[in-house]
Amino acid sequence: MDSKDWAQMPVCTAMDTLSSALKSNIIPNQEYLLQGSVLDSAVEVLLHRLRGLCDNVDTGPETFHDHEMCFSILNVESGTSPQPLLLRVRRALDYQDMPWQLRYIGQPEGTGDKSRPTIVRSSIDIGTTSAVVDFLTEMGCRMDFEYIVRGYMFRKGRMKITVSKIFKMGQGKPPESVEPISQSYLVELSVLAPSGQDAIAEDMKSFADQLRPLVILDKVDYKRLPMPIG
Amino acid sequence: MGVTILHQFPMLENRTGPQTIEFLTKRIVALGAVQMGQFLVDCDSYISMPSLGPQRTVHVLHNSEQPASVFSILETNTKTIPLVADGLFDLLMLKMTPIYTKKVAKIESKGPRFELADFCIKLGSVTISQNFKGVLVEVEYRPCVVPSNCVGLMREFLQGFLGSCVQSLPACLQNKMDEVYQPMDTIQQYLDHFLNFRKMAGYSG
Amino acid sequence: MKMQREEKQLETALDAILLRVNDLKNSIGSMIFKLENESENLNWPNLLDNFALLSSQLVSLSKMLGHDKYPLLRTLAIIPLELSPERDEQLLRLTEGRVAIFSHDLAPDYLRTKPVPEVEQKMIQLEHKASNLSFETVQKQMTAYSKVVGHVWEIVSKAREEWETEGSGRSGSAITSSLADTNTLVAAVAMGKGLKVCDGMGQGQLPPNMMGPSGRPVGGGQLPSNQLQQQMGSMGKVPSGIKTNIKSANQMHPYSR
Repeated sequence: MDSKDWAQMPVCTAMDTLSSALKSNIIPNQEYLLQGSVLDSAVEVLLHRLRGLCDNVDTGPETFHDHEMCFSILNVESGTSPQPLLLRVRRALDYQDMPWQLRYIGQPEGTGDKSRPTIVRSSIDIGTTSAVVDFLTEMGCRMDFEYIVRGYMFRKGRMKITVSKIFKMGQGKPPESVEPISQSYLVELSVLAPSGQDAIAEDMKSFADQLRPLVILDKVDYKRLPMPIG
Repeated sequence: MGVTILHQFPMLENRTGPQTIEFLTKRIVALGAVQMGQFLVDCDSYISMPSLGPQRTVHVLHNSEQPASVFSILETNTKTIPLVADGLFDLLMLKMTPIYTKKVAKIESKGPRFELADFCIKLGSVTISQNFKGVLVEVEYRPCVVPSNCVGLMREFLQGFLGSCVQSLPACLQNKMDEVYQPMDTIQQYLDHFLNFRKMAGYSG
Repeated sequence: MKMQREEKQLETALDAILLRVNDLKNSIGSMIFKLENESENLNWPNLLDNFALLSSQLVSLSKMLGHDKYPLLRTLAIIPLELSPERDEQLLRLTEGRVAIFSHDLAPDYLRTKPVPEVEQKMIQLEHKASNLSFETVQKQMTAYSKVVGHVWEIVSKAREEWETEGSGRSGSAITSSLADTNTLVAAVAMGKGLKVCDGMGQGQLPPNMMGPSGRPVGGGQLPSNQLQQQMGSMGKVPSGIKTNIKSANQMHPYSR
């Protein structure tokens, strides 16, 4: 392109770009999710099987060690039953220089609907600088809980499979000494896609079937869970 | 990305905004500058609902020079927190709208962008909802990232085509003269000027 | 005249058959090619499709052979006019590299329509023997035979049973996942069940500022107390649970840098 043409090119605002991206539906803002768990004793078998099934065969699984903080901000103005807005901040403990991740997660849909193979929830993933915790806190968000998550990540096409141990933050102890909250690893199979790509859910279901009976990946409706005392 | 100084060019009674921009363009083109596109810096401000306690403001700015980033500056009574994020941060602010609402009009600086050897010059007309408010001249000296090493040179350059109106350095640069200059520092300068324009126009926030 | 007509009929029939056989050959060829070169992309339904194609081609070929319009091919004789121990390039080309020599060794194999005479002899002998057996002997032999088959059947089913119980026993003894654990983990990650700062420890045992994870600098972002008061005051209408939450929100800053 000639520099003169370029000089005449109008700049469009970021909001214009965003709304046109929204209109053409290219923003991956839907998360398709299946969850399950595997006992510590069987995790090696699962990792072995995933290594065989997934794309990153040659390099082996990617490990991660993250710290996740969950924030909420109460929306008092909206009608009678205020629905809190939930935000999550995640940072890599093993790569301190990486951007932090700020994430909005909407209400899960499709938990009770038998015809939908996975949970679908809206999700906005944003990379940010490390000031994000300060930023949210000063905005008026409060931190509800936090945890350490450590584990392995696999990829299969657009699907992401994580096998992770959840640790409670140590009270009065250095962050290295943390206690696991269960004798199992959390297993999650997820895809982030623009809305309306429901075909991927079928792929996920059939992938999940390949992991049976080692791990039962399913739609877990955490609102209807029988609650053990936490 | 180099050190950047943003300067407000005083308006003369008998000159309109476009005329001022044209006047400055002629001057820098005479110096040998070549136009390389347009630029745009815009700012939306979101104000917290009263139920959230003391009023806080989130200023969300975009700079066409860093098109993939969203710059936010949170202002509370006591502190200012800058945050750089991905483009989708705008989407998140839309989700926040019941809690943080856009009560003031968008303000932006927009105009031609020039290059002259190591300098990048942007002549911006500032508008609040399409109403012209003034002219901001941005000069970036690209080979250097530490302000103390180049502000003298930059001031001289600015004075060279803006005249004697160039005196002091931007406030937010003065206390970080020896730090590495960040894109956020440019944004902070724009925000300072934008807030001034808004104050003059009688907006609060 | 009649000879001529029959000859013509035979010719068209042979052409048609040749066409079908070539189709079949090509299908088999492409399937072999797929198996050899695209085996990683080849899935079971795909393979079944290929088989279905072959079988339909075979069926139509045999239907064609049985049709009245077609002359009975078995009544015709093929006489090899010329046998040669030399390599025949044209033959090699015609058969796509499969047959190089039409010699005395090979021709009988390609043109054979009946078993080898010795085999035929043996079959006749056996058939003869079978037809001459007495009814009792046949009965006896059949019973003996069924007994053997029954025995083998028993062994196989017993082995299967053992194998199945062993398999189910194994999966029974080695449970690999637990629904309760899934629920615990999902509830923890989604709602902080069991992770909240106040959970698991007496509320208010420690001064609020100490409740954050220590080992990191605490209080970097503490609000000035008057602001906190103001904030709590303005939220007075919100359920009292909020109060503790403001306390916890107060300690989030350790992670700012």
